[in-house]
Amino acid sequence: MNSLHEHILVVEDDAQIRNFICFTLEAEAYVCVTAATAEEAMRLLAAEPIDLMLLDLGLPDLDGTEVIRRLRTWSEMPVIVVSARDQDKEKVAVLDLGADDYLTKPFSASELLARIRVALRHMYKQSGAKANPVYQAGELRLDAEKRKVYLGESEIHVTPMEYALLLLLFKNQGKVLTTSVILREIWGAGYGQDTQALRTLTAGLRRKIEKNPAKPRYILTEIGVGYRLAEERE
Amino acid sequence: MGNRRFSWMDTAKVVLVMLLATALGVLFAFLGFPETNIVLVYLAAVLIIARYTHGPGYGLAASVLATFAFNYFFTDPRFTFEVSDTSYLITFAIMTFTAIFTSTLTAQMKRSARQALAREQDTQALYQLTNHLSDAQSMEAIGTAALGSIGQTFGCDAALLFLTEKGEAERSYLQYAAGNVIHRELDAGDEVASRIQLLHTGCVETESGQEWPLYGQQRILGVLRLPRMALSDAQRQLLCSMLESIAMAIDRLSAAQAQQRYREESFQERTRSNLLRAISHDLRTPLSGIMGTSEMIRNLSAQGDPRRRLAQDIWRDADWLRALVENILSLTRLEDGRLQIEKQPEAVEEIVGSALAQMERRAPDREIDAELPEELLLVPMDAKLIVQMLVNLLDNAVRHTPPGNEIKVSVEKQDGKAVFSVLDRGEGIREEDLPHLFERFYTTRGKSADAARGVGLGLSICDAIARAHGGSIRAQSREGGGAVFTFELPMEEDAQ
Repeated sequence: MNSLHEHILVVEDDAQIRNFICFTLEAEAYVCVTAATAEEAMRLLAAEPIDLMLLDLGLPDLDGTEVIRRLRTWSEMPVIVVSARDQDKEKVAVLDLGADDYLTKPFSASELLARIRVALRHMYKQSGAKANPVYQAGELRLDAEKRKVYLGESEIHVTPMEYALLLLLFKNQGKVLTTSVILREIWGAGYGQDTQALRTLTAGLRRKIEKNPAKPRYILTEIGVGYRLAEERE
Repeated sequence: MGNRRFSWMDTAKVVLVMLLATALGVLFAFLGFPETNIVLVYLAAVLIIARYTHGPGYGLAASVLATFAFNYFFTDPRFTFEVSDTSYLITFAIMTFTAIFTSTLTAQMKRSARQALAREQDTQALYQLTNHLSDAQSMEAIGTAALGSIGQTFGCDAALLFLTEKGEAERSYLQYAAGNVIHRELDAGDEVASRIQLLHTGCVETESGQEWPLYGQQRILGVLRLPRMALSDAQRQLLCSMLESIAMAIDRLSAAQAQQRYREESFQERTRSNLLRAISHDLRTPLSGIMGTSEMIRNLSAQGDPRRRLAQDIWRDADWLRALVENILSLTRLEDGRLQIEKQPEAVEEIVGSALAQMERRAPDREIDAELPEELLLVPMDAKLIVQMLVNLLDNAVRHTPPGNEIKVSVEKQDGKAVFSVLDRGEGIREEDLPHLFERFYTTRGKSADAARGVGLGLSICDAIARAHGGSIRAQSREGGGAVFTFELPMEEDAQ
């Protein structure tokens, strides 16, 4: 039911990786459109019906941040950035600018497909019907109407801040949220970059919902980027 | 200076001048000039003698002689030493005093003129030496200039032996003889080496000559050997000044050479790092392709298909290469200082969690325990690097531990430090490997080295990362078998 033959634009200058990505996508019945440069990508974005873009950050002609900045002036389409390990700074900058998720090379086919599925689902949810007031991940459940959190059958008592964090994560379930986006959403725009407060808040929440905070099942840490709520669905 | 030897030449001068003065006096007396003129003639004679003889003795002798001659030849009664008019005694006394006074004065003047000349020559010699030394571009050139100057100034043979930085004698030395400087091999029998210690206190006299040390800023740079001869104070002083100039020239040259060497080394190091990084960069993209493609082949192959296993092997090797490339990149960047450590307070549990999540992917069949403090530990660190370090240590533990045995990460707070430990119940660390574990490209020669290949970079990057954080890492064997790697990070930002 997932694939509705969405058109995916793959912007990648290395032919072999482009082939691997397209092969994987086409096996899942997506339509693959390719570009080797940012310029070509911008042309295709304007001309073709594209649903999602996979953007490599190591393009020869244009900075990834610039591509996102231009795209976001006229489109909210999901963008997943693909980066090498030493492009962390650019990756986070691109995510802060509105890219939806990221993949670090080398990535597996299943990781790639999982990210695409999540990004497309959020796209449909935004444009589609009213959001479901009850969110679920494994044993963990959040009832947005009653403002309550449950683990299995028992209710978990969380502070208003913890509730806000969990709700934000649930609304973006499966998607990475950067530290600065979370800070902005929970503490407000003027709060700055107090990552320590966020670490402490997360640690408190984890102690309530995770069996072993060193092996978290729900709130996953993306080192150097932010947090992601696990995609466990029942 | 006063005890100069008796000279016939000077004695003859005294006699001759005295005779001439007396003859002139006789002429004056004959012409009926006053006696005062005769006294003046004698005084002039004493002055001339003092000027043209060597040493004050002749002047003094001439003074006394002049008085007696005047008394003998020109006072009544003449041709005796008797005096009829006692007022002459005053004349004699004043004459003697004046003669002695002027002759000593003249002698002194002559001496200081001679000293000035000697100083002038010394200065000239020293100036020429420093001139030659500043042109010298090698130790040999310095030695040649030094020996040439010393040989010419002191008019003797000389030899110069350089000492190495460890204070040992070089194999050959420079010898100055008859205006030429030549290389000579050091005789095995020569016991210079045993005397080097003595040189710390100054010049050493031996049966064959004297040895002068060249004191540099930090060490004795060499030894100058001169034949056995007496040196005046002034000569000693000159020699010391020359030795000082030579030592300064050697120090200057070796500092310049050391700097040159350092420049070349750092250039080589930079080139090597750049090359390594360029190769690693270029390896990374195709490796991603290989890993993706082999994964694709594996997923396309049925469960029992041998191609599935082959594709899996390709993937695993590519993954191993990728980890190596990442380690090389981080290590070269850490070492040439280009990797800026960006410290942020991070939750220890998240760091350990990320490392465990990565291990889950790399060794899905291995169970790794975590033992963390109940309280939240926030430690300033570069999160990515510390995760990389933990993954390297865990990877190492997995490779050296049979499946089913314990592997554990633990973190605790100790004296303002966060202490991370990775413990295993594997084969442990061999005693002889312990000192080399963190060296680059060191891999154990133990039995299983081949079976579980390590790149020998994993641990050296751990060391580099720990040190870049102002922390430290160490390895130990564990009681009851296995190994434990421990690293400490300061909890305070400014504790570095």
